[in-house]
This record gives sequence, C-alpha cells and structure tokens, in this order.
Amino acid sequence: MTTIQPADEPGRAQTRRWIARGAALALSVAALAGALAYLRDPPWLLHYTSGLRGWEIAADGTRVRSAGPHASLFVPADAREVRLRLRTTFEPPEDGPIVISIALDDVPAERVVLSGPGWREAAIRLPPAGTRRVRRLDLRADRARDGNRAFQLGEVTLDPAR
Amino acid sequence: MTAPDAAGARASGGRLSRLVIAGATAACLAGYILIYATGRAGPPIRSDGFSYYVYLPSWFLYHDPSLSAVARDCCGGTFPDYTAIIRWPGTRRWVNAHPIGVAVLQSPFFLAAHALTRWTNLSPDGFTLYYQHGAGLAGLAWTVLGLIVLRRLLRRHFTDRVTAATLATILLGTNLYHYATYDSSYSHAYSFCLIALFLYLSEQWHESPTVARSIGVGLVAGLIVLTRHTNALVLVCLPLYGVTGRSSLIARTGQLRRDWRRGAVAVVTAALVIAPQLAIYYQATGQPIVSAYGSLGFDLRHPHLLEVLFGVRKGLFFWSPVLLLACAGLVWLWRTGHPARGFIAGAAVFLTADAYLIASWWDWQFGGSFGHRGFTDALPLFAIGLAGFLTWSGRRRGTAALAAVAATMVICLSLVQMLQYWNGVLPFSDTTWEQYRAVFLKLR
Repeated sequence: MTTIQPADEPGRAQTRRWIARGAALALSVAALAGALAYLRDPPWLLHYTSGLRGWEIAADGTRVRSAGPHASLFVPADAREVRLRLRTTFEPPEDGPIVISIALDDVPAERVVLSGPGWREAAIRLPPAGTRRVRRLDLRADRARDGNRAFQLGEVTLDPAR
Repeated sequence: MTAPDAAGARASGGRLSRLVIAGATAACLAGYILIYATGRAGPPIRSDGFSYYVYLPSWFLYHDPSLSAVARDCCGGTFPDYTAIIRWPGTRRWVNAHPIGVAVLQSPFFLAAHALTRWTNLSPDGFTLYYQHGAGLAGLAWTVLGLIVLRRLLRRHFTDRVTAATLATILLGTNLYHYATYDSSYSHAYSFCLIALFLYLSEQWHESPTVARSIGVGLVAGLIVLTRHTNALVLVCLPLYGVTGRSSLIARTGQLRRDWRRGAVAVVTAALVIAPQLAIYYQATGQPIVSAYGSLGFDLRHPHLLEVLFGVRKGLFFWSPVLLLACAGLVWLWRTGHPARGFIAGAAVFLTADAYLIASWWDWQFGGSFGHRGFTDALPLFAIGLAGFLTWSGRRRGTAALAAVAATMVICLSLVQMLQYWNGVLPFSDTTWEQYRAVFLKLR
C-alpha cells in the first residue's frame, strides 16, 4: 500500500513569501535606481529657476526678471558661452555699487560690478560638457535693497544660439 | 473598555483602523499634491514655516548658528518682518521667535532633500525645490505618525470601530488635515504627533516605569517644549495620569515619590534635549531664557476666551464643532469610570490652561489660519473624548445613527470650509459674521 506524504505546506508558503519579498525588494531597488537616473540633470532643469521673480517689461521695453540677493538658473551643458545682461534695480544707486558674483556649478566664474543704472553684460565660457546635460549658474549679490531686490536679469543668450 | 467591547476589539484585529490610517495617508498625499499642483499655496517654506525651518540651512549649509549667513543669502542681510526673527536689542544678534524643535524633526527630510539636490545639481541653498517639499512632506509624515500612535493609544481602551471612526473624524472634522497638507511646515503637525506619543508613553510609564520608558518620556517631553514652548503645559498629563479623585491623587503623589529616580531620568533627559535651545538664546541675547517675541506677549488679565472658543473669527468650536462632541465624551468617560478616565484630569487641567493662555496672547487669532491652530496640538486629547462619545452613542442604535449623521455633517462642513480657505473665499483672519454668511458653502 502506498502512503501519501502530507505536502510540506508551511515550507512552500514560506518559500512563496520569500519570493514575494525578494520580488518586491528588487522592484523597489529598480524603481529607486530609475528615479535617480531620471533626476540626474533632468530636462526640466532648463526651465527651473530660483530666486528670480516673473518676467516683466521694463520702462525701456526690455524683458527683465528681478532677483533677490541669490538667484540660480540652468543652461545647456553643450553651449560654449552664455551671456547674461544685468543691472541694478534702482537708479540712481543710492549707496554705491552692487557686486554680483557668478558661479558655474559652484565654481567662481565671473564678478560684475553694477555701479550705474545701465545694463552690464557678463560672458561666461562653459567648459566641455562631459557627462553633464545642464549646468547651473548661481548669481549672488553682495546685498539687497528695499523689498529684497538686488538686481535685474535680462534675456540670457547662448553661443551657439538655440 | 467593557468585556463585550474588548472581545469585539480582539475579534476585529484592528483591521478597520489600519485601513483608516492607510486611507488617511493617501488622502493627505492627494491633498498635498492638489495644493501644490494647482498653485493653491506658495512654496511650503513660507510664513511661520520659514522661521521654523531656517535653522536647517543655517546649521548644515552655512555652518552659522547665528542665522546671519542665511539672512544674507536669502534676504539681503535682514529677515522680513513676517518671520518674527528680530535683532535682539543690545547684542544686535538674530533671535528667532520660533524654536528649533520643528527643524530638529525635519532634519532627516532635509538631509535627504540635500542629497537629492546635490544629485540633481539644483542650487544647494536650502530653499530650492527638494528642500521645499522635504519640509512640506515632513509635516505630513509626522501627522501620519501621530495618527498611528493615536491609533495604538485608542486601541488600548476602545473598539476598533470606535478607533477608526475617531481617527477619521479627528483628521477630517478638524483643521488637522489642513495642517498636514496646506500649512504642513508649521509646528502643529509636529506637536500633534509628539503629544499623542507623550500620552501613549505616559500611560506605559505608569504601568511600568522602566529606565528605557523614562528616557522615552523625557525625550518626547523635551521635544514638545522644543517645538512649542507653551505646550510644556501638557506635561501635567504625566503626573496626573490615573488621578480620579482625592485618594488617587494622594496615591499618585506617593508613587511619584517612590519612583523619583525614574522620574529624575525623564527630567534629566528632557533637560538635555532642551539645552541646545537655551544655548541658542544665551548666545544671541546673553540670557538662557527669554521671550523671543520681544515686546509681544500675553495679557493674562484680559483673555478673549469667548472669542477663542466660540467666535466666528477663529473660535475653536465654531470652526470644528465636532470637538463639542469630544468634550461631551470627556465628561462621559469621567462619570462612568471608563479605563480611559485616567487621562481626563490631565486633559482638563491642560485644556483649560491652554485655552486661557491662547486667549491671552496678544494676537489671540494666531494670525492667518484655518480654524484655531492653537488647539491643533491638543487634538490627541480631544480624540480620547471623541472616542468616549462614540462609545456612548454606539450603545443604542438610535443614538449611534444620530451620532454618525452629526459627525458626517460636521466633517462635510469642515471640509467645505477648508476648501473655501484654500480657494481664498474665506479670509485668512478677521472673518466677520457677515462675510461668513455671504460665502457660506460657496467654493468660489
């Protein structure tokens, strides 16, 4: 007579649980890796700024954005040069010039002294792109005036143009 | 809990209340996304939320606890008036009216946001995208943690159904949901969680005052004071736990005397947690204990109690009428000798003193807020009362149905009014009866 051995149900259930946990862990790691890969220089950075207010049309007809003492923006990493037009917020400057320090990915790149009401242009040469798709420009003023306004930024131009 | 109640609680295994926690988490996340995806609110680090948060970039990014470096980078050297960060007369150093507790509790989220900011190459200045939502989501996460702790506390004394209904009603029928989502960078979500945790640990400490529990109670007590100084009042709930009359008060005093070593462990732990705040005050003002609001303060002789509790401007029960049921529940728990009665003496002392203090503050409306945010911190105590009310009403089918209808109606009213606030239909403060009537139930 053949006897039927009871199936090892608890063992199988345990195995199934481990497989399910392993799959959930693998999926979580894959999702995290995918999210991190996407968040490395994501394309939306080119439209992201901080410390800059909305575009407005100045009295001379130019499009400008007002900034506090610190603003940041992004440019494509494959550009050779980026040109920024800057000026002080108020004229005449009542308390001496304002100094704007510009850094490219946290490395100092340029200093601009705004001593009059006119526009000053800063040209920043970009290093080879390497693995980066976008580069960050930080603009820091040495102080701000009333209403937390330090400077105005005009249109940003790139070379080669795009 | 009565015997049949306890049997019911065991039978249900807490599934319903767990489901409510999951639903609450999903609802909070959905509300948060709605608010920021539709531009209903500015960036999360704003208003009081800015002042609570500003320590983090100051400590971790600018390595300058004096707040001067962050003031230069964000604000041109001077913090705006709305921040309540003032230059202390005499020393000219920055003193922040909002203490460091929220920043301490936000720090894990801040560090994660900073790592992600570096990875994405956003500006690591403490105020770009990930820092903003790190701070916003921190408040949401602490609210959910508070609900989880509150569930565990309520489940010790009430059935799973009552616990589930209480959690849902406290979240949606008061301004807790608003402070978990729209104004999640304010201190209230954090204080809500800490007070729930303190009540839970207090009860356990009285059951068995081990060294580990003493350290836990002291740690949470310290964080409560560090998050909102006036919430130190809630600490009376520890010695008053289980006090139901003169004899139990004498017994409790005797027990505290016998267990003084464990009590001392809690006090020393709390003191160590609070010490950095005193050091910050000392560094800025030359004194360890100051009124960081400067000349603004309490007028204890002229409290606006009626307005604070019932007024149209920010009255607690006007904007969260479900809390009237919670008060009725607290009375019922006291009178029936329910096991949760142990909390009532502490709750009565704290809620009375807290209401008086809030009503005596120079700005008793607490500025812009949905409902009265001064009481959001105390919602775990109201939750115990509400669970008592639901237990009482559940004993008869008629009252159960009536309570369910009443609770549903006030939840709906609260949610509609919250949406009105989000949409700018209701003013941020100084609402008049005429304004309230004119926009009643209008979402636009």
